Amino acid sequence: MSEYKITKQERQAYAIAKNIKENQIVIVGTGLPLIGASLAKRVVCPSCIPIVESGLMDCAPVEVPRSVGDNRFMAHCAVQWPNVRFIGFEANEWLHDSERLIAFIGGAQIDPYGNVNSTCIYGTGDYVKPMTRFTGSGGANGIATFCNTIIMMQHQKRRFMEKIDYITSCGWMDGPGGREKVGLPGNRGPQMVVTDLGIMKFDEQTKRMYCAYMFPGVTPEIVQENTGFEIDCSKAEIFPDPDQEILRIIREEIDPGQAFIKIPKE
Amino acid sequence: MNKVYSLHDAVAKFVEDGDCISFGGFTTNRKPYAAVFEILRQGQGSFTVWAGPAGGDWDMLIGEKRVKAYINCYTANSGYTNVSRRFRAAIEKGELIYEDYSQDVLMLQLHAASLGLPYLPVRLMNGSGLTKYWGISEEQRKTLEKVDNLKCVEVENPFNPGEKVTAVPVPKLDTAIIHVQKASPDGTCIIEGDEFHDVDIAVAARKVIVTCEELVSNEYIRQDPTLTRVFGQCVDAVVHVPYGAWPSQCYNYYDNDSHNLKEYDKASKYQDAADAEAQIAKEKAKAEKKGLPYTAPANPETFKDFLDKWVYSVKDHDELLDKIGGARLMRLKNEPHLGYSTRH
Repeated sequence: MSEYKITKQERQAYAIAKNIKENQIVIVGTGLPLIGASLAKRVVCPSCIPIVESGLMDCAPVEVPRSVGDNRFMAHCAVQWPNVRFIGFEANEWLHDSERLIAFIGGAQIDPYGNVNSTCIYGTGDYVKPMTRFTGSGGANGIATFCNTIIMMQHQKRRFMEKIDYITSCGWMDGPGGREKVGLPGNRGPQMVVTDLGIMKFDEQTKRMYCAYMFPGVTPEIVQENTGFEIDCSKAEIFPDPDQEILRIIREEIDPGQAFIKIPKE
Repeated sequence: MNKVYSLHDAVAKFVEDGDCISFGGFTTNRKPYAAVFEILRQGQGSFTVWAGPAGGDWDMLIGEKRVKAYINCYTANSGYTNVSRRFRAAIEKGELIYEDYSQDVLMLQLHAASLGLPYLPVRLMNGSGLTKYWGISEEQRKTLEKVDNLKCVEVENPFNPGEKVTAVPVPKLDTAIIHVQKASPDGTCIIEGDEFHDVDIAVAARKVIVTCEELVSNEYIRQDPTLTRVFGQCVDAVVHVPYGAWPSQCYNYYDNDSHNLKEYDKASKYQDAADAEAQIAKEKAKAEKKGLPYTAPANPETFKDFLDKWVYSVKDHDELLDKIGGARLMRLKNEPHLGYSTRH
């Protein structure tokens, strides 16, 4: 058997899986977070409990679902709640001071404090008539309100910006105390950003983003070049690649149809 | 009481120009497409829309200019089209009056409507663009009869002084359309799998159309009342429409028609032939400027072509089913041991 050559997406999926902790309830969407959570569930952290914002709880899909309301989730879960129950559950986890929830969200733009835009890019226009319009919040705003989050993003200068056009999902706002000021739970917020270059985290004092891990082959120069604001890489360690068995599980068991992990042809 | 109608008659009677309207389902699951196609054929429009997690259903009605005000939280055929294309184009061209709430808030608003609440305080959207920016200004709201006078208001929790919460209006729905697995002539519904917000809008709306996979007797449907989800007295019309959620999924019945959703993804890129020509010329010029090779698609299918093919050229749902074809529909059938189809 020839050796699997790792792709950027597999590195991200593995990084996701490694950051899910024992017994955590994991809010996943589709795409990479789902692949990462599936990997966690199978190998890295089998005690985790995946849920989706449509209200399907403890999901164990056999085939990769395409959307959070997909029958592939619905037919293989513990409870089929309407969406409002999911929202209530999310809020009550916070009210009960529970630390069990961790959530994945994505977006088009992010600022140094982990505020995320998934609504629109203004260009020469504005919110009402933007250059590029996206879907809108979906569940992301609520998730970012009540849960600790891991943000998934392609690491590009045009996405990592000092100031983003529109805040769909609140991060640490403008720094320490920023969330409390606008009426958001201060003990919740973004924990890290998993990109195709590595893992960014937020400084406990300043709440500003710094580079905590780089994937093999990535240098501080590459991270800075692809970030639209100054980013501290002085503490960055190398995040080791997974072994061949992990890659085999992703390719042959979790996403054999390459729905989300695309494998380049030899 | 017998509430059974033909699809034509139900839509003709209960969907009126200018209605404030909401559909059940979730992006590509149990969307009431047969009813959407019938609305497209009959021509009703000027809708004020509480869209919920929408997909091609509202994208088609936006593309056909049937929407007066669109209250959005998410619009995409997830997994097929990242952002619904007619929705996106209408906003980028400044042609759609729209408002954004988060999905949580919008679903809670629909739930609040089912509970008959006067307004709704939430701990959501605080600090975000969702409260800061209004798609529909206070001025403009005065001119739109079915749109609330305010998007949201920051208020203090009277029971917890100092706590900031966001108050939002509760929808006043004229019409709701849901697609369910089983219904009986008296309007009682069985929804299998996740009910989404379908029960909420069926309780909240003045006029409710239910389309169903199977029409069963009033006696049969109440054999096991743990399965029934909608009280028949909330329902105005029951319509027997097998595969009425096609091309979306219907739990225990069939899967997405991925071929059709992919076809719509491609076709909906272009409004019509003139738009296709303009966009292709633009892409070609862009490629030439960069010195990149560009092959223009030859006569690409457009949004208009797609609707002509699947909606306007067929008289009714029976003709649509014939057009889709028996073998194709059989391949979509859920495999009971999996809950989806692996054969399409």
